[in-house]
Amino acid sequence: MLLSNDAGFTAALTGADFARYAAGRLKTGALHKELAAKGFVREMTDFEGCAAACAKKNAFLNAGPGLHILVMTLRCNHKCLYCQSSAVGAAGGGKTDMSRAVARRSVDFALKSTNPSITIEFQGGEPLLNWDALRDAVLYARRRGRELGREVRLALVSNFSLMTEEKARFLVENEVSVCTSLDGPAGLHNRNRVFTGGNSHSETARWLKYFSERAAKQVPDYKTFNPSALLTVSRFSLGREKEIVDEYVRRGLQDIFVRPLAPIGFAKKLWPSIGYTAAEFARFYRNTLAYILKLNAAGKKLRERHAVIMLEKIVNGADPGYLDMRCPCGAAIGQLAYNYNGDLYTCDEGRMVGWEGDDLFKVGNVLKDSYRKVMLAPAARACAAASNLELQPQCSRCAYKPFCGVCPVYNYETQGSLWGDMPSNGRCALSMGMFDALFALLAKPASAKILKGWVAR
Amino acid sequence: MPKNISIEVSLKKYSPESVRYAAHSLGGEAFAYIKPLPGGRAAVELAPRPGRASAGLARRFRAELEDEKLRERVAGENRELREFMLLKALNYRPKPPEKDDSGLTPQQEKELNDLIAQIETEIKAEASGGASSDPLGITSTWEDKYAPKNGSKKKR
Repeated sequence: MLLSNDAGFTAALTGADFARYAAGRLKTGALHKELAAKGFVREMTDFEGCAAACAKKNAFLNAGPGLHILVMTLRCNHKCLYCQSSAVGAAGGGKTDMSRAVARRSVDFALKSTNPSITIEFQGGEPLLNWDALRDAVLYARRRGRELGREVRLALVSNFSLMTEEKARFLVENEVSVCTSLDGPAGLHNRNRVFTGGNSHSETARWLKYFSERAAKQVPDYKTFNPSALLTVSRFSLGREKEIVDEYVRRGLQDIFVRPLAPIGFAKKLWPSIGYTAAEFARFYRNTLAYILKLNAAGKKLRERHAVIMLEKIVNGADPGYLDMRCPCGAAIGQLAYNYNGDLYTCDEGRMVGWEGDDLFKVGNVLKDSYRKVMLAPAARACAAASNLELQPQCSRCAYKPFCGVCPVYNYETQGSLWGDMPSNGRCALSMGMFDALFALLAKPASAKILKGWVAR
Repeated sequence: MPKNISIEVSLKKYSPESVRYAAHSLGGEAFAYIKPLPGGRAAVELAPRPGRASAGLARRFRAELEDEKLRERVAGENRELREFMLLKALNYRPKPPEKDDSGLTPQQEKELNDLIAQIETEIKAEASGGASSDPLGITSTWEDKYAPKNGSKKKR
């Protein structure tokens, strides 16, 4: 039995101990002492300490949007089976490319946020298809950050197929961190990520090597970052946990982000052939985590990002800045998605819904609307209310509530309302599966030691 | 097609909210219909969703009902305290770090800072204003310092 409270403390009890505790008969002993220290015993609660812990967990509430996603183009030269970005073909004609002017206005808008640390993430489609505007935006953001004395982080999400030595050098020298997708060994990766112009896996591997080697040689003039990679789990990934993890180790990556598929965008139409149940994903996640821990025990450094995010909350009581699993979620108040034409959305998924013809998640336009108007947009407020777990009948009762978050866009796309219905919600089932796996491992000393080491300060 | 499950619940033992929440928690497995009955009772009908079985639903519903009863009691007993703690958390401001007390008044601090700035300016000016970087001639050789300027060497 797992107990949790608003301050983020947890305690694992046997059924018999829980029965004694619930009946008020657990009044002495080591367990009672532990529960009292963690705020589970009313008469002995340290309210000051619990309030401080609760405040720390929710420190993001006053910070303003920190993540600003600039969709440089909707054009893409890949046709990934599960694409959620509403990518159009690479030929496109540039009609869905962000202009330099809109990019600069977007940077200016991002810098209005009250968050002390801003991350501008260039996405697409494939952002390298709009290199000129991307390059200009990077230089502009760096200059404006210096002028205003603001901390500005820049990141690029790319499939790397259009990367060149010149572009890579520019990115490195301007401290732009890079992230790509790596779905496993070549056959599996290329099956998910269709690239008719070449071999997607080869390009990914080639440039991961390049950026890793650059990061290994730090120079005084600028900071270089290790590249990161994301795994999107499709039906074809199931049963191949070991091969996928081995691929990440082979590429020298230190983190693997195991992301479940969502029935949104292209994936919605192809769900019968690429999708899976929450139980199937839970099994995949447990097996993947178990293998990663085995590698860690043997001295290999590899962490699973979802676990790291959850462990930051569970072990350190801190906010890891992961907007997809937060209460309330990051819609507008934590992040903004800037479409190629300057339209602003609560998040990238909301932008994708807009591309499909439903502007429910649109909160404004950088060329026309003030920051204040955008922050107070109806969609921003509705998403904040709908993702407040206190107001969700199932979530408010769940032991994982202090660490979890719902997605109004997912709810809307799969269940027809921002609020959704958690008992039948696929994302809830997926999250519960991951939490179940993690807490089961935390209950075992050997795996707990490794997991806590992943987030040790 | 699995049969619907009908369960009668005493509203003297369980509040209507508990019954509703317990039924809601099974929403992934079954649709729930709640109807009041005379004599302080309610009828809960659980209709399994397509592809779901009815086996175990009644047992799970009753278990959830007991859990909801406990939650309701604990939540009721702690509501005010919880709201107090959350209010405290929302208004929480960490204590500012204690300032170093140098023992100087603000005026004295300012004078000291001005003096330091003046000295730094002078050092900078000496270093960059054409003045020799070796005023004592430490790096000069004996010949540099004492040799006749016309180049002739003194005979020993």
